Amino acid sequence: MMNDTWQRLKSDRYGMGGLMVVAAFAFIAICVWSGLLGQGWSEVSGNRWESASASHWFGTNLLGQDIFQRTLFGTATAFEVGLIVTLCSTILGALLGALSGWYSNGWLDEVILWIKGVLDSIPFYLFAAAIAYALQGNTWAMHVAMIVTFWTTTARIIRGEVIRIKQREYIEAAQAIGLPDLLIIFRHVLPNTFHILLVQASIVFVAAINTEVILSFLGLGIQDGVSWGLMLAESSQEVLAGHFGNFIAAGSFLFILLMGFNLLADSLQDAVDTRRVIQ
Amino acid sequence: MTRSYVARRLLYGIPLVLGVTFISFLLMVYFGPDKTYELLGKNPTADQIREVRQALGYDQPFMLRYADYLKQLVTLDLGLSDSSGESVSSILGRTLPISIALVLPGFVLGNIAGLMLGLMAAWYRGKWLDKLIMSASVVGMSVSFLVIIIGLQILLCTPYGLNLFPVRGWQVHDLGSYLYFVTVPTLALVFVTLGYNTRFYRAVMADEIDRDHIRTLRAYGASPFELMFKHVLKNSLIPILTRIMFSIPFVVISGSLLLESYFGIPGIGLVTFNAITSGDQPVLKAVVGLTGVLFVLALTVNDLLYSLVDPRVAKP
Repeated sequence: MMNDTWQRLKSDRYGMGGLMVVAAFAFIAICVWSGLLGQGWSEVSGNRWESASASHWFGTNLLGQDIFQRTLFGTATAFEVGLIVTLCSTILGALLGALSGWYSNGWLDEVILWIKGVLDSIPFYLFAAAIAYALQGNTWAMHVAMIVTFWTTTARIIRGEVIRIKQREYIEAAQAIGLPDLLIIFRHVLPNTFHILLVQASIVFVAAINTEVILSFLGLGIQDGVSWGLMLAESSQEVLAGHFGNFIAAGSFLFILLMGFNLLADSLQDAVDTRRVIQ
Repeated sequence: MTRSYVARRLLYGIPLVLGVTFISFLLMVYFGPDKTYELLGKNPTADQIREVRQALGYDQPFMLRYADYLKQLVTLDLGLSDSSGESVSSILGRTLPISIALVLPGFVLGNIAGLMLGLMAAWYRGKWLDKLIMSASVVGMSVSFLVIIIGLQILLCTPYGLNLFPVRGWQVHDLGSYLYFVTVPTLALVFVTLGYNTRFYRAVMADEIDRDHIRTLRAYGASPFELMFKHVLKNSLIPILTRIMFSIPFVVISGSLLLESYFGIPGIGLVTFNAITSGDQPVLKAVVGLTGVLFVLALTVNDLLYSLVDPRVAKP
């Protein structure tokens, strides 16, 4: 199954292009984490609002910090947010979705559906604001808000798939030999939803990076360090005075990464969904 | 639509409303910051502290405080704003029309344009026009809302671009001034929703175009225009209406939050933004609770409309 998916993905030019873009950005992020790139993001290395030059590729900001260094560091921030949110919300969505689907129409299913319905009813940015308010400026408020809301879509899709898988013969066989429910769910049901989780994870990753930008602008996002969202928020004050460094650097990095991820997510979806490929 | 179905739908909404209000109560009232010492002067006596805590309701048991919050939401008696001292319900009443006037044109245009592009892409599926539209919508989906807003502002509102519209503000008294202030936010909203809308509408239409009866009509020589609007569009009304109903509260709140705080437009979004930055609890808890309740209401009405359009839905 995974092998087929990979073969189909490999034959999709756009998907491979997207994958390469994502890999390049991931490489930058790893270099930042291991201390090879972007370490000078907070030091004042020039005058205020220098224009682009050989030493400052995108110029400097209000405080004289190098914008290119900050953009590189922002890549690592984007991946940190994306990875944490994607990992946690996908695991949460997979577990609750699987339980919900396995015990469909039981009380556990009803409770999980109710929680999903409630979370889906609160507009996201307000929910993020409420969580930030309750956690009083905790650095993780943004991550928590995204994880708590993003799992619902994953859970809904997994629930539907588990209800389908449940009726297969091999599940019936596993039940007939008396395996406990949880063992069946973890060993025989969830692994068969892996391809769906992969597609859903790529979609969540895009949403997390996109949302971080908006939340940082609203003052609910990254607290320490620098992110593309903070740079764009900074640029909103500067562009009126004709300083475009922050806007161009953060805007284009963000665009290229999101574009790569969107292409990758699309072709993953095509590669996994055989029905659509046959069409 | 049977009476029992209506009753069932309404009953189903109750746990949702309770859940939404409970979460906003828990986050903002119960776990929210203790406001006692903000309201007291220096060196308060034990009596003063007790008095303020009593006024804030901190000495009440949990369920009673929740019931009190519910009562506030139902009676729209939402207390006074911490920062301005104005009553929250009058703030909301004053600012909501501005937000609707701001967001409505962009919302409508974004959906109509997405519908048209989706129709074209679905009709020419696999042809170059479809590929062009779909590639453009992926590009559109990859641009952040904030980048769109700043970019449009540079292009349309500053001397570095065309300099046609105001940088920020909202002094609306007639149609001309309305158009003057609403154009750039509207364009931003259309751009940010267009990619998602187009993809959604194309997917819905493509499913419908594949149906046998459409192919038959096509073979009989029905004009594309008649086919699309009379048969395809009509049959895909349910998913389209659902999407529109669902997105209204989100676009009004989320869209206005960003647009108004960026352009300094005194609508409900700016009020919320200021409440977020200053920690104005009465405003925040009212906005979160009320939008949640409104959303559940929209959901219920939507389901009832469903069963009017398609009676099979109401069958148990």
